[in-house]
Amino acid sequence: MEIAIENVSMTYPNGKQALRELDLELKSPSLVGLLGPNGAGKSTLMKLLVSALAPTAGTILADGQPLEKAERQLKARLGYLPQDFGLFDELTVTQFLDYMAALKGLRGPQAAIREVIRAVNLEEKARARIRTLSGGQRQRVGIAQALLGDPAFLIFDEPTVGLDPEERIHFRNLFSRAAQDRLVLLSTHIIEDVQSVCDQLVVMDHGQILFAGTPEALIQSAAGHVGVFWEREAGQEAGLHITARVNTGRGVRCRAVADTLPAYAQPSEPSLEDAYLYLIHLHSKEAAL
Amino acid sequence: MGKIFRYECRRLLWNKFFAGLLLVLLFYGWQVLTGVTILGVSHTAPFSPWSFGDYLSRMVPLLWIGSLFFLTFFTSGKARRAAVLTDAAPMEPRRYALARCAAALAGAALLALACLAEAAVFYGWYFDWYGWEELALPALAALVPPLLFALGSGWLLGWLRPWLVYVWMLVPFALPALPLPEALGLWDGSFFTAYPLTLGALDPAFSLPGGAAAAQGALLLAGAGLLALRPVGSGTGRRTGGEEIAREK
Repeated sequence: MEIAIENVSMTYPNGKQALRELDLELKSPSLVGLLGPNGAGKSTLMKLLVSALAPTAGTILADGQPLEKAERQLKARLGYLPQDFGLFDELTVTQFLDYMAALKGLRGPQAAIREVIRAVNLEEKARARIRTLSGGQRQRVGIAQALLGDPAFLIFDEPTVGLDPEERIHFRNLFSRAAQDRLVLLSTHIIEDVQSVCDQLVVMDHGQILFAGTPEALIQSAAGHVGVFWEREAGQEAGLHITARVNTGRGVRCRAVADTLPAYAQPSEPSLEDAYLYLIHLHSKEAAL
Repeated sequence: MGKIFRYECRRLLWNKFFAGLLLVLLFYGWQVLTGVTILGVSHTAPFSPWSFGDYLSRMVPLLWIGSLFFLTFFTSGKARRAAVLTDAAPMEPRRYALARCAAALAGAALLALACLAEAAVFYGWYFDWYGWEELALPALAALVPPLLFALGSGWLLGWLRPWLVYVWMLVPFALPALPLPEALGLWDGSFFTAYPLTLGALDPAFSLPGGAAAAQGALLLAGAGLLALRPVGSGTGRRTGGEEIAREK
């Protein structure tokens, strides 16, 4: 599976520009983490990829075919979990998945349904009506329907929202396994989710791609821009972007990113979170100028 | 498509609201049959096509509400949130809409059949009367055009704005208050009581004047046309984003 996004822009009818001249290539097998603050354009990009929206400029190619011509072929190979979705509360989990299997055109879907129910740990709730499920369980039904039919291209928009830490780890591993032979696009606010499983990262802000590459390359880009220091005086934080603040017996220990670290800050190895925050901080400063 | 139809029927018909609506429909129907129809309308027998048509006309507002209620399963905000999943599936949007539309039609037909069955029980029980073939034409004229139009127009309105379906439910209650021409007597329920009196005969055979037939035919065609051209889902096909903004608001 190969997705090429060429010079894509998206402006909503109210004039809000959600995406600006994006260029990006995604190839399977890969687990691509899509990071960015709220309003960065991540969900809009995902909606374009599933043909829920049409771009106002540019082209999206799926295996070399323009999306507007190959929409059904793409959908036949797509599993999609949107950030905000509804389910048919009147049906049981199994019935809902059977319904989705019919929409996906799967024949004899019972084995596939059992498999995805097992994959998302919902065996005990397989016969429960959806209206009786908790928020986390509903989220797992959403993930199950995306996995149904073994699609070649999986798009998950904030999939771990509402899941407890143990479940989040379970699903991170599930996405990682799925990406062994597929293209998985994972949008999230949670750096931990992408840090441990993604081999590619795309960072977006204000409708633009700020970075596309490996997590290591992103971390490397922040080298020399991360430091730690003890908070002693007011005004010490000017020009710095504090990423952590820990109260200790000796005082408050701060971790910060900056273009140029002050002399009192001791340089530190950047983490992925530092590198992400540095990139966003840098971009915000440039945009403000 | 058959599976989608079955699941949609299950969603529409296997719930408390449908059971409640059916009970209200049957209770009200029995009140009409034993309170009004039993006396006969316009000097005709209780089992005349005119009395039977009057009974059905009185049931149409409830059937109209029931038909539109089925559509709320497809047009409500909750249904639109589920549509983000179903729209991403490869099934051809028109086929999907057709399966859902067929389920709504089946639901409306079931409610109408409940009214007819209740009348059958009433006529058999009270009058030992079973001459149903005489009543087929008034049943078709009174029920099919408004119910088909309810589904066609309701689908379009619900697609435009979900709350419009609820406003549309009130239409049959507003019609009797309007000064409608005679040809539209079937729309406000006055036809079955007023028209036989103009025929100058006692217990006249059922007939539909040209104007009324044309009005019902137009309603039928409009309903069928709206259903045939119905918008597919909540936004299947590629969108410009206007709906997204509307939803955010």
